[in-house]
Amino acid sequence: MNATLQDLSNAPAAPPTHPAGEIIFDHGLPGFPSTRRFLLEAWGVANGPFSLLRSVERDTEFLLADPDVFFPDYTAEIDDETATWLGLRQADDAVLFVIVTVGDRADQATANLLGPIVVNRSTGRAIQAVLNEGFSTREPLFATRGA
Amino acid sequence: MLVLTRSTNQSIMIGPDVVVTVLEVRGDHVRLGITAPRSVAVYREEVIAQLEAANRDASSPSAAALDELRSLEPPASGATEPT
Repeated sequence: MNATLQDLSNAPAAPPTHPAGEIIFDHGLPGFPSTRRFLLEAWGVANGPFSLLRSVERDTEFLLADPDVFFPDYTAEIDDETATWLGLRQADDAVLFVIVTVGDRADQATANLLGPIVVNRSTGRAIQAVLNEGFSTREPLFATRGA
Repeated sequence: MLVLTRSTNQSIMIGPDVVVTVLEVRGDHVRLGITAPRSVAVYREEVIAQLEAANRDASSPSAAALDELRSLEPPASGATEPT
């Protein structure tokens, strides 16, 4: 189910669309309640699966991944209230990311599937959703070697 | 902390439109029913704590860790056609 390194190199280019301008989390993020304004920057290889979410207010950044590349079966169902709050009228209005924890060893990097980042691609309004459905906050990004 | 004693099927109100009802008490377990407007997010506290911890661990990865991850990345898309 997880992408292996080999799979990744064969994955179709599925770059997340980077909304222009700032990404605004009106509620901050859990653990970072007063960090609200970010810029979304490309990271790594061109059209690769990663982006960097960099705070414009303080020295905080998060590495984000396009979940479609690593977890093709993953679906984040956003409740109507959240969708309305974000100003989403259709699924295409949203860009979905997962936060990556790199830790000490990059090949053991994990992604937070429980709390994906949902961004309105035209307004930059964003939220860390809470799916509450048994998803892990530390799902390995890369399949175990040799598995 | 405000402490209230309630029996099964009794409720408390939080503000004008949030109602928490004790549905069942069995040993250490209490089943609660919560009625709230859709704009009020209701989560188990430990879920939010889990997200806070995950975000703290993920925040501001070290340059060394990012360099290592960069070295795992495949060549630029488009360099190889999907087979």
